[in-house]
Amino acid sequence: MLFIKRGNLDQLLESLRGGYRVYVPRKMGDSTGYSLLGESDTDYVIGEIRSFEPLKSFFFLGREKVAEDFKPDVLRDDKPPCIVGAKACDLKGFRILDFVFIDDEYGDPTYMKARKDGLIISADCTGVGETCFCTAVDINPWPDSDFDINLSPVDDGFVVTTGSEKGRDTVENNKSLFQEETEAQVRAVKQNRNTVKSDVMKKAQEKRIPSADRLQRIVNKQYESNIWEEVSENCVECGACNTICPTCHCFLLYDQKSDGKLARFRVWDSCMINDFATVAGGENPRDRLWMRLRNRFDKKFNYFPEVAEEIGCTGCGRCIAACPGKIDIRDVLARLET
Amino acid sequence: MKNPYRSIEAEVLKVTTETDTIKTFLLKPKEELTFKPGQFMEFSVPGVGEAPFTPSSDSQITETMEITIVRVGKVTDAIHELKPGDTIGLRGPLGKGYPLTKFIGQDILVIGGGVGLAPIRTLMYGLFHMREQLSAIVYRGGCRNPEEFLFREQLEEWIKRDDIDIRLTVDAGNDSWDGSVGVVTTIMDDINVNFARAKAIVCGPPIMMKFATFKLQELGVRDRNIYLSMEKNMSCGFGKCGHCRIGPYYCCKDGPVFTYDMIREYPGIWE
Repeated sequence: MLFIKRGNLDQLLESLRGGYRVYVPRKMGDSTGYSLLGESDTDYVIGEIRSFEPLKSFFFLGREKVAEDFKPDVLRDDKPPCIVGAKACDLKGFRILDFVFIDDEYGDPTYMKARKDGLIISADCTGVGETCFCTAVDINPWPDSDFDINLSPVDDGFVVTTGSEKGRDTVENNKSLFQEETEAQVRAVKQNRNTVKSDVMKKAQEKRIPSADRLQRIVNKQYESNIWEEVSENCVECGACNTICPTCHCFLLYDQKSDGKLARFRVWDSCMINDFATVAGGENPRDRLWMRLRNRFDKKFNYFPEVAEEIGCTGCGRCIAACPGKIDIRDVLARLET
Repeated sequence: MKNPYRSIEAEVLKVTTETDTIKTFLLKPKEELTFKPGQFMEFSVPGVGEAPFTPSSDSQITETMEITIVRVGKVTDAIHELKPGDTIGLRGPLGKGYPLTKFIGQDILVIGGGVGLAPIRTLMYGLFHMREQLSAIVYRGGCRNPEEFLFREQLEEWIKRDDIDIRLTVDAGNDSWDGSVGVVTTIMDDINVNFARAKAIVCGPPIMMKFATFKLQELGVRDRNIYLSMEKNMSCGFGKCGHCRIGPYYCCKDGPVFTYDMIREYPGIWE
């Protein structure tokens, strides 16, 4: 472990701008949101809680050209992304997306390239959001893995951990910016982690969220329950929960002609929208809203544990904050237990 | 790295009108493109969009491919406007084919309905290529009316063969029809095979597949030997876009042919 002063981190990020598009969290109202780090910018915040938006959008774009004419490749010359301050829940989101999009035969080329070439500088949470419940899905509010470099905020700077070859190289190449950490700093990191974790746990317990090992069984057991229908009464079918979710990966392919060229776009789609599963002849296996709501839970808490041995929910609580119908995934899980 | 979203350019060589709403397109891909019976292709009209179809031609013919398409929506409307010489896109082959090697030594029952007879033609070519390795082929085809039968000449030829037990039926007959009248399950009672070991392939509209499956169970065919062609909204074709999920499977990647024991417990499979 090492220590980096805040001012030195500014310098590190400035130098990373040469090889990456560096995205940093900035204060936006009560929350934080990501935007590009410009020359000499230092107005970013590390720590606090996860940003308003999910980080999938930097690797799996909302709308992206994936094929042109009949050419084998779509050429891209932009620099890879470097995401600063990513939280443990975001990293868990990448684990799910990696499972979906990375494969030898049918891997998504742009996602795989961005993941391979990108740099993740994550950070411990230093607070608890209104809707946070990561501990309920077995995630700590600090990154344990899946990062290149992790920052644990302490006085005047950050305790630094590296989690990959790329992270170690980055530190090595900028050695003069780092110094040895002190015992007091390590203790401060531990203390912050313990405090935040117990705060998240307390909130999760207040919501009576069933324990992570029971979630799959509960969702399965309640498959025919009328809870789905009752909960869906408040759903307005806007798809915000899908858009804001760090693990939602569904998309549609959309072809168009522009400037005499054929282009195929990959566009985010939402399983809550009526026509999501409709076939050309008009048949829709999920023609009722509650069936689509149930399908969303089934995908997160049954499908992903089944095929990837991962719960498809990161406990980030973004869907709770985004829902105009005030549907709270924590309450739904608690109700399914009863 | 291969781009799985990219289509291969193909030329429309010939368009055959089969019925009022069904046409068969003979296509010549500009790059090598082969498939196995049961696999499907994403067929795109440049700038309009893609839709999934199973070829209807002999998979051993590698230079060209035929696809038979019903006009039901935006993409198929555009497909039906195509003329010889037009350029289209093909992406595939996608999905798993029929496990033909598992059919060796067995009695094979093929149950088809409506436009499901198109992909079944590809399977039939495959079965005839390995006819000596199969102990029996039984074919039962049903359509709503006699005009709906695809590939009439082909069916006449098969009826003349003595190495296949073939019967056809229509839901509603007319003057041109002197065969059976009734849904396809009504011509399944005279089948004489070893049901306990037979492999049954069902392809057709969901309602027909449902009742054919129940009938096959009644006759003693094992769920694990009933091969169903599932129709779901398949977009990417390789298990990423999320549209065609059936329980732990994606219809495109793990199917579209599934044995009934794989999917029987999941809701909405017949819809």
